[in-house]
Amino acid sequence: MDSKQYLETSARAKQPPVPVKLIIAGGFGVGKTTAVASISEIVPLTTEARMTSAGAAVDNVGNVPAKTNTTVALDFGCVTIDQDCKLYLFGTPGQDRFGFMWDDLARGALGALVIVDSRRLSDCYPAVDYFEKVGLPFVVAANLFDGLIAYELDELRWALAINDSIPLITFDARNKRSVRDALLIVLHRSLDRAHGRLANTLHG
Amino acid sequence: MSERAGGDDPTWPPWPDVETHRDGPVDEAEAGDVSRLRPYVVTSGRVTPLDDTVEIEAQVVTTEYGLDSRARVAFERREIIALCCTTMSVAEVAAKLGLHIGVARVLVSELAAIGYVTIRRPAPNLADDVGLIERVIRGLQAIS
Repeated sequence: MDSKQYLETSARAKQPPVPVKLIIAGGFGVGKTTAVASISEIVPLTTEARMTSAGAAVDNVGNVPAKTNTTVALDFGCVTIDQDCKLYLFGTPGQDRFGFMWDDLARGALGALVIVDSRRLSDCYPAVDYFEKVGLPFVVAANLFDGLIAYELDELRWALAINDSIPLITFDARNKRSVRDALLIVLHRSLDRAHGRLANTLHG
Repeated sequence: MSERAGGDDPTWPPWPDVETHRDGPVDEAEAGDVSRLRPYVVTSGRVTPLDDTVEIEAQVVTTEYGLDSRARVAFERREIIALCCTTMSVAEVAAKLGLHIGVARVLVSELAAIGYVTIRRPAPNLADDVGLIERVIRGLQAIS
């Protein structure tokens, strides 16, 4: 079958699916790629995004040079939701200097899962701060490395100093169902927000 | 030493003739900008893509016209046309061709402007779409 026939039988046969996306954020080595790999139906792909001067503009650090040329890796996977909808999961490093890429990613995202390693809590702060600032629904999930967690959830919440309204959960990035459940909690937050906005529109 | 393909021919490589596929007059400077440079050079030099709002999850699919015109484009553009016979996201195009995501966005939006690919972008107010979110939830719940 040549590519033309293939084109006619596949892509042209139906409209491309509606893409939706969730962000998987967190510091280096917290299990973002593992989580994506656990649930993705494709082997996670990596692409690179180059930071340009736009990145420096969102940084409020006075001594950052006007132009930066950092390249960051973006890991992603996808899950087919139904015939006409595909969910993309983008894993992004959690450093505040990557603000530009987050803006790019956050636009149109349904929500975010912020993965924390309970031994390195501060790694997740830039992500938490960012999603709070832009008003994107998110859930903080402590990855259970080797089934151990360094703090109890209450202690963890206190240590993270996150609002009680933000769900804090534990999950296992290596386990598909565990990742699925964590994403479902994010999506229920997204749903709550959508309902809230709908109510505001109707009554406001 | 063998001569490089195209030699000193200024028309090599054979880029798509953008002008013939556009409605209305084309700004001369703009037409010159898309002519003979390698795409990476073009995109590095471009301050903003034709449409810099193309989402990285937007779905790209080759059109019949794009497939017919494949022989007339080169390098990454041709690869994108071949790759997107199967619908995929801008991010997948970037990953599979080893391109920076920004470069892939520029090339895809250019190809879409010429009509070689079509892009299905996410709905504008997707985050407020209760029905769609419920659908995604149901779809995920079905995974075991």
